[in-house]
Amino acid sequence: MYRVRFHGRGGQGARVASKVLGTAAFLDGYYAQDFPLYGAERRGAPVAASTRISEDPIMERGVIPEPDIVIVMDETLLQDPLTMPLSGLKPGGIVLINTTHSPAEAKAVYKITAQVITLDITKIGLDMLGMPILSTLAGGVAARIVGLSEDSLKAAVEKVLSEIITDRKLLDKNVAAALYCFNAITPAKIELKTIDTNKKKSTVISLPFEPAEISSPAINATGNTPLRMTGNWRVFRPAWNYEACTRCMICVARCPDGCILVNEDGYPYTDYDNCKGCLICVGECPTNTLGKVMEVHAKKVTG
Amino acid sequence: MAGNGAIEGDGGKGVKDMGVERIKSIKGIPPEENVLPGTPACAGCGGLLALRHCMKALGQKIVIVNAAGCFTLLTIYPYTPFKNSWLYTAMACAPAGAQGIRDALDILIKKGRLDPDEDLKVVVLTGDGAAYDMSLSSTSGAINRNLDFYYICYDNEAYGNTGVQWSGATPFASKTGTTPPGMIRPMGAELVKKDLFAIWGSHKPPYLATISPAHPVDLINKFKKAEQYNGPKLFIALSPCPPGWGIDTSYTVKLAKLAVDTGVWALKEAVSGDLKHTVVPKRFKPVEEYLQVQGRFAHLFKPVRQEAALNKIQEGVNEYWNRHKLLL
Ligand SMILES: Cc1ncc(C[n+]2csc(CCOP(=O)(O)OP(=O)(O)O)c2C)c(N)n1
Ligand code: SF4
Ligand SMILES: [Mg+2]
Repeated sequence: MYRVRFHGRGGQGARVASKVLGTAAFLDGYYAQDFPLYGAERRGAPVAASTRISEDPIMERGVIPEPDIVIVMDETLLQDPLTMPLSGLKPGGIVLINTTHSPAEAKAVYKITAQVITLDITKIGLDMLGMPILSTLAGGVAARIVGLSEDSLKAAVEKVLSEIITDRKLLDKNVAAALYCFNAITPAKIELKTIDTNKKKSTVISLPFEPAEISSPAINATGNTPLRMTGNWRVFRPAWNYEACTRCMICVARCPDGCILVNEDGYPYTDYDNCKGCLICVGECPTNTLGKVMEVHAKKVTG
Repeated sequence: MAGNGAIEGDGGKGVKDMGVERIKSIKGIPPEENVLPGTPACAGCGGLLALRHCMKALGQKIVIVNAAGCFTLLTIYPYTPFKNSWLYTAMACAPAGAQGIRDALDILIKKGRLDPDEDLKVVVLTGDGAAYDMSLSSTSGAINRNLDFYYICYDNEAYGNTGVQWSGATPFASKTGTTPPGMIRPMGAELVKKDLFAIWGSHKPPYLATISPAHPVDLINKFKKAEQYNGPKLFIALSPCPPGWGIDTSYTVKLAKLAVDTGVWALKEAVSGDLKHTVVPKRFKPVEEYLQVQGRFAHLFKPVRQEAALNKIQEGVNEYWNRHKLLL
């Protein structure tokens, strides 16, 4: 059995990617399971989805703690302590990272010992679909790594997407992008021992029943969410060019997260530690002071 | 879009209300931030933008009673974006929680155990699922008892936190997880949106308002006015929701403006039953402009145009404004 775990951000398409992979496997004659990790559904927040593929009926249920393959659809998740996408990845397993880095660079930067494949899926998404939604693209690379057929991938993308979108052109673009990704990587061979013998001890712990004042969480702090640094949610960042800025304060009034601050001279600027990159400010600025720059590339330029 | 200029004027055209200092433009919005960044709310959340302005108007001497929904996740152990106190309740009973807190504060003040200067405003914060459906009964009771509280409903027109299911606030013909357009119901949601403003109005509370994240001046002035009244005060914020409504994260504010400019969302207030529309578009845009940019209405345009459904929506809007003799 192959156990594949997708990590992305809400809205990027991890759930649909896992479904494309599961559907393609099913069409190739395997047993398959795909499911998102249920939680509050939130755009930009870390999300995970999983696919199991096997020649025999699958009796396993629930989350995949020890995947053979991990697909990291958003590079910034690798440094997110609350996500840890590589946790449990089996030795000899494969990780695919959506990045502009080469595999060697990615291994060095993120200190990864497993086998690494890299592909700039975001760029392919932007070029071929015109938007950074990576569901079918990530499904495509995963299908290749697992060794599924191109025909089944194509049919799976058709099937899964026709249930959620009505735009035929967009659907065709997705098929093309998925196949492009399928053929863009050189898959590594998964080097696993086939039988897992060492059964782990149960991780279920039982907690004593406590009265509410002990068992319900109480937060004795104020205003500490900025510590969470949601800035790594961004695909694009708002970029400032102050020549035309009239200090009208419209951007400040429009930011849902209150991430536009005002300096001593009355000029607004972005709190990049927390700006989620919704880009409302870019569209609202009446003077073109604000533009957008793709996040990963922006980092490369500035080193 | 040329909507930016409009916010300078919104709410600025009314006369000065008895002694209430109104702000005239967005430059008058209080600079203090009472909801800090770093929350788990989606990028581009329209409800969060509305809440940010509500909290600027309310200040820090408040206690929020929050029924389960997207915004209970703003405060997740061990983090909170708020500078004020906050309490989590089940979906049906935030107004009951508010009653308990109000009573406790009153008793403590009466017994001399709390300085009246340290009194707090009690603010219920819920989504539409709670406000329009699940907590109607406890809300009705609280209004009837003339509980002194604010009720803010961020209305994203669905049960958002659980992945967008139909609620009593979902508009006719919207696609949600539980109203998928299909062979039997090609229009998606069959029922029309409940009128929460009217439901509250029938209880005769002192203050009712609808607000929009795209009209912060109007929003803040409404809070300033409401502050003068003792008793239940309602604020319903139409809150564009990128994942739920199928829009880009950058489009929230533009869509909130379109909702007002097409007449879909009437900005109004009622002081002791005296209704006044606070922002009336000079010329109403066709409702289609609002619908066609949202994924949740895409099935009304493709693969075939659903003329009957589109007409029904436009007629509903026309009927509302005709009834109030404001359709020019
Ligand atoms: C009695 C009850 N039923 C179901 C739930 C699960 N639940 C948690 S949040 C939520 C959605 C609430 O919708 P709404 O009030 O519109 O707020 P939103 O999530 O849209 O912000 C639901 C159904 C619950 N907490 N309590
Ligand atoms: S689901 Fe909608 S309402 Fe909820 S946090 Fe996201 S954008 Fe806001
Ligand atoms: Mg809701």
